[in-house]
Amino acid sequence: MRNCWFCNLSPWMILFTWFCLVFPVAQSSAESDKNPVISGFVRDQSNGEMLTGATIFAIRSNKGVVADVYGYYALTLPPGSYTLRFSFVGYEVQEKEIQLSGNLVMNISLQPLQEELDEVVVKARKAEQSILAPAMSLQKVDSKTIRKIPSLLGEIDLVRVIQLMPGVLTTSEGSTGFSVRGGQSDQNLIILDEATIYNASHLMGFFSVFNNDAVKDVTLYKGDIPAAYGGRLASLLDVRMRDGNSRKFAGTGSIGSVSSKLTLEGPLIRDKTTFILSGRRTYADLFLPLAKNKDIRDNRLYFYDLNLKLSHTLDAANRLFFTGYLGRDIFRNDFALMGFGNRAASLRWNRLFSSRLFFNLSFNHSQYSYELGTTEDTLNSFKWTSSIRDYAVRMDLTHYLSGNHTLRYGAISTHHSFFPGSIRATGESSVFSDYKLPAGYALEHAFYVSDEIRVTGKWLVKAGIRLALFQNIGPGNYYRYDKKYQPLESISISRGKIFNTWTILEPRLAMSYVVNERSSLKASYSHTGQTIMLAQNSTAGTPLDVWFPASPNVKPQLSDQAAIGFFHRFPDKMLEVSLELYHKNISRVVDFRENAQLLLNEKLEGELRYGSGTAYGTETMIRKEEGRLTGWISYTFSRSFRTLPEINDGRRYNAPFDKPHAVNVVANYDLAKRLSASLTWVYATGLPVTFPTGKALFGNDIIPVYSARNEYRLPDYHRMDASLTLKGKNKPGRKWHGEWNFSVYNLYDRHNTWSISFERDENNPNRMFAEKTYLFSVIPAITWNFNF
Amino acid sequence: MKRLLKKGLTLNFLIWMLISCTEIMEIETKPGFTRLVVDGSITTDTMRHTVWLTSTEGYFSDLQVPPVSGAMVSISDGTTVFTLKETTPGKYQTTGSVFGLPGRIYRLNIKLSKPVGGFTDYSAVSELLPRVVLDSVSVKFYPGWAEKGMWEVKGFFQDSPDPDFYRFWLYRNGRNITGSLGDWYITDDLFFNGKYLQGTTLGWLSQHQENESLQAGDTLMAEVQALQKDFTEFLWGMRSSLFGSNPLFSGPPANVKGNISNGAIGYFAAFPVSRAKIIVKTQN
Repeated sequence: MRNCWFCNLSPWMILFTWFCLVFPVAQSSAESDKNPVISGFVRDQSNGEMLTGATIFAIRSNKGVVADVYGYYALTLPPGSYTLRFSFVGYEVQEKEIQLSGNLVMNISLQPLQEELDEVVVKARKAEQSILAPAMSLQKVDSKTIRKIPSLLGEIDLVRVIQLMPGVLTTSEGSTGFSVRGGQSDQNLIILDEATIYNASHLMGFFSVFNNDAVKDVTLYKGDIPAAYGGRLASLLDVRMRDGNSRKFAGTGSIGSVSSKLTLEGPLIRDKTTFILSGRRTYADLFLPLAKNKDIRDNRLYFYDLNLKLSHTLDAANRLFFTGYLGRDIFRNDFALMGFGNRAASLRWNRLFSSRLFFNLSFNHSQYSYELGTTEDTLNSFKWTSSIRDYAVRMDLTHYLSGNHTLRYGAISTHHSFFPGSIRATGESSVFSDYKLPAGYALEHAFYVSDEIRVTGKWLVKAGIRLALFQNIGPGNYYRYDKKYQPLESISISRGKIFNTWTILEPRLAMSYVVNERSSLKASYSHTGQTIMLAQNSTAGTPLDVWFPASPNVKPQLSDQAAIGFFHRFPDKMLEVSLELYHKNISRVVDFRENAQLLLNEKLEGELRYGSGTAYGTETMIRKEEGRLTGWISYTFSRSFRTLPEINDGRRYNAPFDKPHAVNVVANYDLAKRLSASLTWVYATGLPVTFPTGKALFGNDIIPVYSARNEYRLPDYHRMDASLTLKGKNKPGRKWHGEWNFSVYNLYDRHNTWSISFERDENNPNRMFAEKTYLFSVIPAITWNFNF
Repeated sequence: MKRLLKKGLTLNFLIWMLISCTEIMEIETKPGFTRLVVDGSITTDTMRHTVWLTSTEGYFSDLQVPPVSGAMVSISDGTTVFTLKETTPGKYQTTGSVFGLPGRIYRLNIKLSKPVGGFTDYSAVSELLPRVVLDSVSVKFYPGWAEKGMWEVKGFFQDSPDPDFYRFWLYRNGRNITGSLGDWYITDDLFFNGKYLQGTTLGWLSQHQENESLQAGDTLMAEVQALQKDFTEFLWGMRSSLFGSNPLFSGPPANVKGNISNGAIGYFAAFPVSRAKIIVKTQN
């Protein structure tokens, strides 16, 4: 597996080869079907935003398509006359009569809904969507839904909404980390406009890095990850930023109890260039001077986010997008400082080679870094830094071959740099010498092709394959290890030399069968690999992330997932019901040696242990997206296990995020025209934990003797949150609109266990007792949102 | 160095201190099976060297861990065998004239009168490392720290070019005031390998703590011990199990593996020691 013909190719050769191969093929085969094609972009009438996921349906022919992430659609139809229906949730439906004899370009702008939808329209649209959608195991949420859900400290967060979806579990109380179908949190690929976000949390995980005002929508793929993406086992969280208002200059903002936000957007050059700029800063530290403890009073503690997106239309066929993100957390006091954050940028070029061939070229950059150090200047002063950095180029083509084939193919190359840690002595006459872990570099290439085939009117097949190559390149050095994971010799690699290649072939297959207008059956299988992993064995997660690559010592983790699903709509009640079953097998699952040292460890690879994992579950969801009452109820049953020969004496144990039962209830109700209320309730089995069962005396200390790994559980978790939103009066001619949001987190004051510690009884030194730490009591918050 | 890094971690832990609360809870666990616990050492000092034998007890039990009496315990260095005598229940000691020699490999043999943890015979092996010499010690007072100020104890000694692991103990007027796992400093030489240490931190003493506070005229003695890597890792592991696990920083806890055979808990360690003294003057 390791010796393949690619190993001797230089990375640039590979890049060049794929560019040369794919590009001309794409151009020459652009006009393949004789039938005419109708194509164009679907936008929001009010602000010019592209509408990802809008459906375009030719009513009598029963054919249709869904607009892609850039709002583009192309539909091939035999010549004739048609009624085309353009629709999207939350927008008025538009119908167009067309006479199709040759290719036709039709750009459409949909009007956002003011009034409640007509039931008939809803029924028709839902039926169309059911016929069109081959995808399963995905959850999509737009920013409007996100806004309605009660939040912690009034800070609206898309990751918290994702955590309310079936199959998604919160890693620990208050955290924005999540586990999908029993996976680890590092098995989620999180992308913002195609650039990877390595650590999506702020303030120790209480908030995610996504500022909702700048987000258009988010899609979570829990199984069947599109072949265009890979490198993670459990899920893809695809976050898309808004393009900005191309019609007029506008602003949105909020003033809340912990943070304020402001977003400005508008056209820079009319009908050509738009921008959106969004900023957020917390001011939790402004309240610190009120603290009783002097040590706390002097602390600085805040985070900020900046999002920028520029969209430029060169001509009808060419568009350019630039997305930039910068966010950082700062903690600082008299003796220590800490900072961490992400940086991401993507530059994309969209081109329509023809109405059938959509092309995208992106250059992406991502970086996550942190620093930790002393602020005082003493002999012991130091600064510790660590980071991971990526540069990537990707090319994606969507080829609307005919009405029955949509071919997507492309290639991605990424250059990864890993800087696991370096400590510099900063004191003037330091007693310490500098300490630096060697950097590591890797190249990751992937080629993919997938075809969406309409076999008959009822059968839809999506077949894809992705070939991933992961290569470690010099300069670098690594250790060889013996069978007991003891380091042997260190091997140095010269600059640019590829010293290891892993090849992973990832087939994916999804099928859907439309039983009738209301019901469909779906099934999918996917094989995925993961080549970069996070050295972390705690459940809550810290900012001190150390990502490490697959290497001669570390094999990629592999996952096989199969899922089946049943989807049914009750159009009269505007309800959707879904049921999915999945089974996952993970080979070469990585866990860490007992009492492993993960930070600042040059021989980190010696701390890894390998085994296998298995996960299975069922996910049930009832969702209502229209009407005065909207929301969903979901129940997930899931299990996740691991078996590693060197851990837990080789016996199978519960995976860290194995929570068998989870229930989520989300309800939004429009009480009056300007007043709406929301309620969420979550329940989940407690996290698995290892408890002490015995005690031993060592020196003067009583030392616990532990149970088998993850043999016990924390108490069950449940919590209710509520919020009330009052909109300001909408007077004609008034530009400024305000909105008050009152939210309560943990309404009935459940003291959910965050951790359990064991203390010695002061009156009886032989007696130990358990003490739990909980983070939140009832937390109310007020936020004032405005837009102009 | 580790402690300094911890400072940074403590800082971001502050946010939890601001909002978190604790409450006593009941936990039901199945009793684990009983195991033998060994805690023994031999050093370069001429003294009575001690091996403690106890067994485990249920974690939430009110009872003290029971001593294991009536065992035959001996330490051999390959040429001589020192037999240990049970002076109080569970406490086995050599005679007062015994001392360890650097470079020797010491073997502990235990034969119990009746099985604990399924076995009667247990053994362990430990090598005594070359001597380290603590040249001198100094103290520095930080008046603003903690409530009444803190003393930093600094040591002056040469680190060898090999990877080393050190434990530092502090004695006030001849009494060990760093007797517990959480009190003493333990470090590797990652950040000063091969250097002459001009006052590296051996420990911190808080004026607020009665058992740590120093007054003018007190004699402060520091002790440096050169430990084996395995023993250091054992102590680090023991220390982290003492502090419990925290969802932020620690993985699932596991029983720390010592060097005693047949699944017994604990360690038998041989190590050299070196000491230096200072008489504390005023707080400046």
